[in-house]
Amino acid sequence: MADTVRSGARAAAAGRFELSRLLRVREAGVFIALVVICLFLTFATDAFLTSLNLLNIGRQVSLLGIMAVGMTFVLISGEVDLSVGSTYAFSGLVTGMLIIAGCGLLPALAVGLFAGAVIGVINGILSTYGRLPSLIATLGMLSIVRGAALILTNGQPVTVNARNGALPDVLETFSFMGQGYLFSVIPMQLVFFAIIAVLAWLVLSYSNFGFRVYAVGGSAKAARVSGISVNTVKIWAFVLMGLLAAFAGILSLAFLPSGQAGRTGLGLELDVIAATIVGGASLSGGEGTILGTILGVLIIGVMRNGLVLMGVSPFVQELMIGLVIIIAVGIDKWTTRRAT
Amino acid sequence: MTAAPSLANIVEIAGLTKRFPGMLALDRISVGFRAGEVHAVIGENGAGKSTLMNILAGDLRPDGGKLLVDGREVKLASPLDSRAHGITVVYQELALCPTMSVAENIMMSDMAARSAVSLLPRDMMRREARDALTRLGMGGLDPDTKVGRLSVAEMQLVEIAGAIRQKARVLVLDEPNSALSKRESERLFEVVRQLRAEGVTIIYVSHHLREVLDIADRVTVMRDGRTIVTLDNEGLSEDQLIRAMVGRDLDAALQWSLQVEPRPEDEDAVLKVENLEAEGLEDVSFSVRAGEILGIGGLPDSGKDALGDALFGLCARRGKVTIDGKELRGADPLAAIRLGMSFVPADRRGSGGLLQMSVADNVVSASLARFSLAGFVRRGAVKREARAQVARLDARISHLGQKLGTLSGGNQQKIILGRSLVTNPRVLVLHEPTRGIDVGAKAEIYSILRGIAGEGMAIVMISSEIPELIMNAERVLVLRDGRLSGELTGQAINETAILARAMTS
Repeated sequence: MADTVRSGARAAAAGRFELSRLLRVREAGVFIALVVICLFLTFATDAFLTSLNLLNIGRQVSLLGIMAVGMTFVLISGEVDLSVGSTYAFSGLVTGMLIIAGCGLLPALAVGLFAGAVIGVINGILSTYGRLPSLIATLGMLSIVRGAALILTNGQPVTVNARNGALPDVLETFSFMGQGYLFSVIPMQLVFFAIIAVLAWLVLSYSNFGFRVYAVGGSAKAARVSGISVNTVKIWAFVLMGLLAAFAGILSLAFLPSGQAGRTGLGLELDVIAATIVGGASLSGGEGTILGTILGVLIIGVMRNGLVLMGVSPFVQELMIGLVIIIAVGIDKWTTRRAT
Repeated sequence: MTAAPSLANIVEIAGLTKRFPGMLALDRISVGFRAGEVHAVIGENGAGKSTLMNILAGDLRPDGGKLLVDGREVKLASPLDSRAHGITVVYQELALCPTMSVAENIMMSDMAARSAVSLLPRDMMRREARDALTRLGMGGLDPDTKVGRLSVAEMQLVEIAGAIRQKARVLVLDEPNSALSKRESERLFEVVRQLRAEGVTIIYVSHHLREVLDIADRVTVMRDGRTIVTLDNEGLSEDQLIRAMVGRDLDAALQWSLQVEPRPEDEDAVLKVENLEAEGLEDVSFSVRAGEILGIGGLPDSGKDALGDALFGLCARRGKVTIDGKELRGADPLAAIRLGMSFVPADRRGSGGLLQMSVADNVVSASLARFSLAGFVRRGAVKREARAQVARLDARISHLGQKLGTLSGGNQQKIILGRSLVTNPRVLVLHEPTRGIDVGAKAEIYSILRGIAGEGMAIVMISSEIPELIMNAERVLVLRDGRLSGELTGQAINETAILARAMTS
């Protein structure tokens, strides 16, 4: 047993030394894939490599990216969250309704975010103390939260504008969050994504909490005997996810500026998980980085954008995205053999 | 029971008892572990070593008796608890995080003790980890390497380094060198000696008597859930240890074995194995005659557990395996079945039976083709066959549709045996045929096996339970380090003889 493990590792080290050194930086593979796609699109289309288009891509991927950052924490901790699309809809709609009702911006945001956090706590408790697999617990929450949103809005669209009762100054700031530009150039959504990504990167790579998230997902047993409270760490990962899904949902409503419980964020959880997985996070826990997730989000964003620019039909786009997910994750699995 | 704690004992166990349903795993054991000694604990399978280790690790709670650390009674309610008392158990299944680096693993407890809202002191972690590794003579190991890339030996040392870092005063090593090469074992021994010199108590659980004699200051022998004797390792021999381990009244078992008549030599071998090699097996050759029960014994890492899989073709193998002169090529269990071999694996709940399916489905599951017509299962035929097998094996079930998983272990095993018999095998290979089964069911299974052997089937019984081999086998082959180390027949089959061949080098 030991001999095979050793000889396998030795063979791998000898045969693919250069390659494995390159791949040791886990994000390298995803990065190369992104560069290749970008190069291709640069030559295949005129519009791709323009600052306008690139910023546009940045805006388009921001909401997905914000959620994928949260999903990175959840996946590394060894769990998964399917309820994020519903949380996205619910929190956005709650915040929108409060604003229409004449509520101030900060209270409206706070309630929306709080709702996301509560959903996260419930997901976390069900998946840890409740001993349900998170796949099941959050699948249930996906329906519950979506149902709650439908009940709350009675299925009617929520549109945030002055005519519906939003206070003018509240509306102005709210719209700026979703539609505005920093220095008239950088979309605010992208600014939020960037800030969140940097903070998350710092937390995951340099904080004791980030260390615990990796430990809990890498081996719950090792974490437990070291004195790390596995359940607490996982619940916090779900709370973070809930907060970020809520925030993305709020930004979405600020951008559009309307939403409907039956449509908003439907199926979004799969895009979020796909982007995170493409970025190198493992469904079995312990692996993943914020940088990788950003690259995964960009690959999906650039693909969608490029396919539109090339005039590919939306039906074919969907198919291509699916191929990218399989190929990107496949390359990672086929080229790196890990001794575990 | 009321022994005053000796000041020299860092851990003292007084009258500890642990009951499992249907068995007494530990029966009022008492033993003291002194500060700064290497104390080996040896005993046969089921002697209670693992239970004792699990209690020390905080994974199991005793039902009675006392556990004292530094003369004070303690309750070890969790692994964390026992680490807090300075006791670390290094299991074969290591508690490491393969996706994280060596430094991160060694420093995990340190980090857990800090606030979650604080910066991770990466440089300090690396430095401290390197220090801990250097103390173990492992300074060359890069603290940034992912643990998943290390060899088993290196992983063990990483875990020990973590324990030392946590100021472990008692280090329990559970079969530490069963996965190690000779050189790695020597390195481990150096580490053990060095730790002893630093005052750490090492509890060393092992089957390898030679190594025990090399490394231990004292040896405690366990048998049947009791501590039999604690000996100073001065002038001890492997023979003495084996005698202490066996020590049980063998008359009853011998009676059984005497009743079995050795068969005439000239009868043709049904199963012939020549120069079999596989993971953990080297150059094993033997043959089994029709109507013979051949026992295979040996320690857990002797290769006996690989033998069943290798014979049946569940793992890659080299060498020649023939049934009635027809060669079984490659790792192909289906071919093995076609040529008349049937296998009952040790892991009844995992790979043995279909626990979620009915008794009837299980009985026919290895011979579905015979019970199918144009792709549909002939329910009537299945029922008839299942009923016949249940009656023949005297399995106690409520009805044929009962799920296998709801039966007792003994009845499950009977049904799985029935599944093998339905395929009309020439050769039946059994791996731990009565593991976890109560005594009554064991006896019934033995008599079934003797019955089917009497009908001319060749049976290979691979077992860790020596009395089982003695009672049933006409011939016992003993494996050690992947090779045959002895063959015993008739009256020469006894516990001392088997253990001696299994344990001594």
